[in-house]
Amino acid sequence: MSSKLISKVTLTAMTTAVLSAGIGSTSNAAESDKAAAADYTKMSPEALAEHLIFKAKGFKLEQPAQEGGLAGKRLEQDETQKICTVLRGKAADAETAEKVTAMARDSIRYPEGGIQLGDWKIGRELAWSGFGYRIGHKNDDHSGAKNGPGGNCYNCHQLATDRTGGNIGPTLTGYGKLRGTSEAILKYTYDVIYNANAYFPCTHMPRMGANGMLSSEQISHIMAYLLDPESPVNK
Amino acid sequence: MFRKFIFAVPLALAVGTAGAVDSFVDMAQEEILQTLIDETGSPYLGQSPQNLQMMPDNPAYWVAEDGEALFEEPRGPKNVSLEGCDFGKGPGVLEGVYVELPRYFADTGKVMDLETRLVHCMITLQGFSKEDPAVKKRHGSDSDMMKLQTYIAMQSNGMKWNPPMDHPLEKAMRDAGEVLFYRRSGPMDFSCQACHGATGQRIRASVLPNINEPTEWTKAVSWPAERAGQQNVRSTQHRLRGCLWQMRHPGLVAGSDASIALISFWTDAARGQPAILPDLKR
Repeated sequence: MSSKLISKVTLTAMTTAVLSAGIGSTSNAAESDKAAAADYTKMSPEALAEHLIFKAKGFKLEQPAQEGGLAGKRLEQDETQKICTVLRGKAADAETAEKVTAMARDSIRYPEGGIQLGDWKIGRELAWSGFGYRIGHKNDDHSGAKNGPGGNCYNCHQLATDRTGGNIGPTLTGYGKLRGTSEAILKYTYDVIYNANAYFPCTHMPRMGANGMLSSEQISHIMAYLLDPESPVNK
Repeated sequence: MFRKFIFAVPLALAVGTAGAVDSFVDMAQEEILQTLIDETGSPYLGQSPQNLQMMPDNPAYWVAEDGEALFEEPRGPKNVSLEGCDFGKGPGVLEGVYVELPRYFADTGKVMDLETRLVHCMITLQGFSKEDPAVKKRHGSDSDMMKLQTYIAMQSNGMKWNPPMDHPLEKAMRDAGEVLFYRRSGPMDFSCQACHGATGQRIRASVLPNINEPTEWTKAVSWPAERAGQQNVRSTQHRLRGCLWQMRHPGLVAGSDASIALISFWTDAARGQPAILPDLKR
């Protein structure tokens, strides 16, 4: 990007700025501040980013999180996140893709008694709800949510067309009508909600099951909303 | 005073030349936006004809007017005005300072954005304590902070984003901000790029700006802006806080170096495009 435009002129200006910064101040506090800040320039961008999050406490790391433990834990990257960060949204090469899909397949747990469809009416509310797990200046209190925290599906997907959904994910209008409810489709749908990296390595689709954002029961309701012939998604 | 009204006549002439506009400084906010829409056809920029229509009567202008009075008034325990505050171009100079923030300040040894610099001056120059509501209350059109920020930012309307990258710290912060922007974490695996990496992406009905398109991104970083849905003028720090909250990341510490790194990166991404200040958004 255009920050590459650093020229001879700006290099001269940089030298001047460094010199004048040295002369300008008198207080010790300012000097030690400056020393701490100066170290930033000795770190790689990646190391500085980690420093700003965890050491310089750029986030409220000590805040209790809804899932238990402290909020800071959420910023610690797992293997999948580390690998996928590097891609910056581009497609994974074959080796990376294989690694990510293998980890994803290992993460998937199925409900006892097999994959069942729940109540599409509850699923509809869950698909619409963007509530849950938000933290910081306001905290989502899960105890008030009848069906638990939301699925956030409409944030990124169009489902039944009576409500407006996003387009970051593919449209799911008519999902069940097009696919039916075979065992294979039930498993595929469950897997994609639980951990879509099993099919789409480094997808932007959150690992709703693997990361504990939705319970198996909640997934069964959302699957009913997608697959039940009576669901508005399929009307 | 407000250039918007003073320059009403010449800007009408300038608008006719969309595609060949090289100076936006004498244009009203809505005309800058209209020019960008005409040039790009961007679904993000053009998503709200109603907002475009409301822009000449942007409530943020009243907030800026209050800010002007606050800026010039001797205040705080030391009873001095903010005219002694240096936002990067010398004490009291406001014209064009905002499009060149964040920047490195030798007196603090830090890269600071508008909000942290303003807080710095209110504390050191005017003698306010950190706990004083004038400093502590960061959000809402009725806060001193938003009145002052809106007034100061408005003096850069139509100017091209040009955050300095001369000092090594400015570059380091910008580069760390880029890492933070693409860093995937949290229970939903989101990075900023998940929503802001392509044109025409929507969360529900809202069209999102693409950081790779400076003509879109200039509006994205044009804060303060009246949020029509919230009926309040909001800051850059407020936007950042809201995104991270929706991403399920832990709360961002206002004015932290992490916040300034992100703002350094995203301002750099709008480089060369005209700022719309104050803006009006959905």
